[in-house]
Amino acid sequence: MLSYILRRVLLLIPMALVISFLVYLGLEITPGDPVSYMIPPDMYGSMDPERLQALRESLGLGQPFIVRYGIWLWGVLHGNFGYSMSGGVPISTIVADRLPATLELSGIALVLSTIVGCVLGTISALRRGSGTDNSLTVVGMLGVSIPEFFFGLVAILIFALNLQWLPVGGRTLPGYVTFWDRLPHLVMPALVLSVTMTAGVMRYARSSMLDSLNKEFIRTARSKGLPEWRVNLLHGFRVALTPVIVLIGFRLPVLIGGSVVIEQVFQWPGIGNEFVAAVRSQDYPLVMMIALLSVVAVLLASLIVDVLTALIDPRVRLGR
Amino acid sequence: MKKKILAAAAAILLQTASIMPVLAQATNSNPLSDVRVRQAIAYAIDMDTIVDTLLEGKAIAAVGLLPNGPYKPNDLNPYKYDPEKAKELLKEAGWDSNRELDLVYYYKDQVTADMMAAFQAYLADVGIKMNYRLLEGDVPAQLSTVPKDPVNGPSAVKWDLAYGALAALALQEYYNRYETGKSAYLPGTPEMDKLIVDINASADPAVQMPAFHAIEKFENERVDLVPLYYQQLFIYQSDRVDRNGGAYGNEQYSYDWGITNWTVKPDAEGKKTLYTNTGPAQFFEQPWLNLGKFIHNKIVFDKLISADGNLTPKAGQLAETYNVSEDGKTVSFTLRDGITWHDGEPITVNDVAWSIETAVKIPNIHPVVSATFLAIEGAKDFVDGKAQHISGIKADGKTITLSFAKADPNVLLTFSQFAPLPAKYFEGVDPLQIQQSQFWQKPIGSGPFKVEEVKMNDFVTFVPYDKYYGGVAQIDQIVALPSDDNDPNLVKNASAHRLDFGYTKNTGDVAALEGMDFMKVTPADIPYTRMLWINQYPKE
Repeated sequence: MLSYILRRVLLLIPMALVISFLVYLGLEITPGDPVSYMIPPDMYGSMDPERLQALRESLGLGQPFIVRYGIWLWGVLHGNFGYSMSGGVPISTIVADRLPATLELSGIALVLSTIVGCVLGTISALRRGSGTDNSLTVVGMLGVSIPEFFFGLVAILIFALNLQWLPVGGRTLPGYVTFWDRLPHLVMPALVLSVTMTAGVMRYARSSMLDSLNKEFIRTARSKGLPEWRVNLLHGFRVALTPVIVLIGFRLPVLIGGSVVIEQVFQWPGIGNEFVAAVRSQDYPLVMMIALLSVVAVLLASLIVDVLTALIDPRVRLGR
Repeated sequence: MKKKILAAAAAILLQTASIMPVLAQATNSNPLSDVRVRQAIAYAIDMDTIVDTLLEGKAIAAVGLLPNGPYKPNDLNPYKYDPEKAKELLKEAGWDSNRELDLVYYYKDQVTADMMAAFQAYLADVGIKMNYRLLEGDVPAQLSTVPKDPVNGPSAVKWDLAYGALAALALQEYYNRYETGKSAYLPGTPEMDKLIVDINASADPAVQMPAFHAIEKFENERVDLVPLYYQQLFIYQSDRVDRNGGAYGNEQYSYDWGITNWTVKPDAEGKKTLYTNTGPAQFFEQPWLNLGKFIHNKIVFDKLISADGNLTPKAGQLAETYNVSEDGKTVSFTLRDGITWHDGEPITVNDVAWSIETAVKIPNIHPVVSATFLAIEGAKDFVDGKAQHISGIKADGKTITLSFAKADPNVLLTFSQFAPLPAKYFEGVDPLQIQQSQFWQKPIGSGPFKVEEVKMNDFVTFVPYDKYYGGVAQIDQIVALPSDDNDPNLVKNASAHRLDFGYTKNTGDVAALEGMDFMKVTPADIPYTRMLWINQYPKE
């Protein structure tokens, strides 16, 4: 298994390189210009294009695309992730500032959605065709179908503006010191994000559990006289967990990349919010860094899923 | 003798461009160089209806380029919607109805997109085909690149019509761009050049006013561009805030609003906190481009002199006294005694001189400020690297004296908006990279409030500077949430009492703010005109 993991980790390097080049190329052909973004539109007609070109040159934007990519890559390989073009802040500082916010929000949503989704999905499967199953199916379908921004806006309207129980957005305010001070800000975005994630896990867990319960080994377990809870949980649920783990595993990159929509709706100062701003302003060192992090997260998540699947399901063998 | 007098009178009449008849024919191969076509475009668009519908009545249909006020003559042609007249003019001009005009725009909001569709329909009604597209990429270059031959062209930009705006600090900004060699779409003419010289000749309103009347009249007849509407600015303020007589004015710039006297209702713990927006998301923007857009530009950095709500310079701020020579070519400022930066270090004339010399080298500063600084003697040589310092700047004790090659009508206006910075924090920084300095993570200023706590992308707090020469502010703390002036979370945060004060130009937000019973919305007329530029250069 160790050699398999090592091989997969080494494969990350060429894949990250190829993807980084494609992202850089994508940025290059996307309409936009970082210097134009620095000028307010009301002043476009008043600015001297020649003087702006000088600014562009000073930021290294005058060089050919491939040269700029080479410089960026050389910097990254030497541990220098560069500076944000708009404000000169080191990329590592920006990521270090934003990542905790994203991890906090996405981590809680991922844990909540995994636990609640698995529990509800299992209950739904075990009570197939009952009122509980039908109700959970409707709730699950709604959760999957309704976009999260809509959930977010409705939650803000009800809980922040009408009931005034929770803050309208943001992560912190002056005077907040501990996690508990910030907790009221976290409740709404974390719950909204976990609602949409829960619905997916629940639907997946239900069908996977139903599939598992129809397998022969379940009948064998029952025929051996094992208690029903043991048949369901130790034999049925364990196997049913495999596809659910795949789903959850592929959601792990959200921990790094952030949930763009939720962060926007709740003014959450995470990586997703920063990514949107960076793309809009064509701040390519920042876009590249966040994209690279996401790429590595996706590739690592895929590796983790493979390893976990092999650990849980004895039928799966790595590297074959 | 009689003949000589008559000849002189005739010469004067001919030189007075405003009464010269506008040549009713195309002046080059581009049919848009025919004044009748341009007038037809002006007559074809029903701006009153657009203002009432798309802009929800929160704007003023434009008559002339300049905002309403004494600098504009009363007898301008309003070009009221008249499609029949437009058709008639197009017929006279021999307009080819198969020709398709290319209109570009660069505002990405939905109202602008809807307006482009409306323009297309209005122009189609009179027989002008038009397609529109959003400019992306290097917008200033696509919009403003001047042809190599600024009189005969050909055009260096591709469009026929461009929808744009001018948010002016000085009224001269409306016209200075039409000087020969500066415009991407208007071929230079001696008449326009002369009128531009006239509006820049003096800082005296009595001299300026007739000059502005003449140029407005001239432009109104020529319709080199179609003024569409005057944008208003809306200041919102919650019932927790009391300005105690402080002025309301053009919030996009700095003016004396008496913030040290503002009061805010204390919270449950007795703390007087004011919430606002336009705080930084990643860094504090240097204050020389968007002069008053961000809250820190107004409260953290003082200027040499202050202005009233209409941005008319009125008194010293960091400068205790200032003096403009009779010919307008020498301006001096004497700093107050004992004024300090927020780190306690004294503010010196060297800081002011360094700030001017740095600002003049960077491209992204406000055009009015740039024009003033470039007019200082020796500024050009300094920018070109031929001199170590600007020869026209002399510092002596607490007094800094600026000598200008020619009088700049906006010199005082510039110094009412230009914030000197503490030079010592920028040692070794390339002026082109000034925004990239670490200083902008927590800047040191000179104004009534200093930066206290910075949580980038969360909030920034400002507290009164206890050594401020103008007295310590009464508000305990200002909390600024990150946004620019077009804050997407404005209504949401205002509804949740997380915004006590700010301004917006977004008409959709204004309606929502007016619906909040704790919010007062005050419209302010500002020099801000949206218009259609018409490219008259021949195309290649």
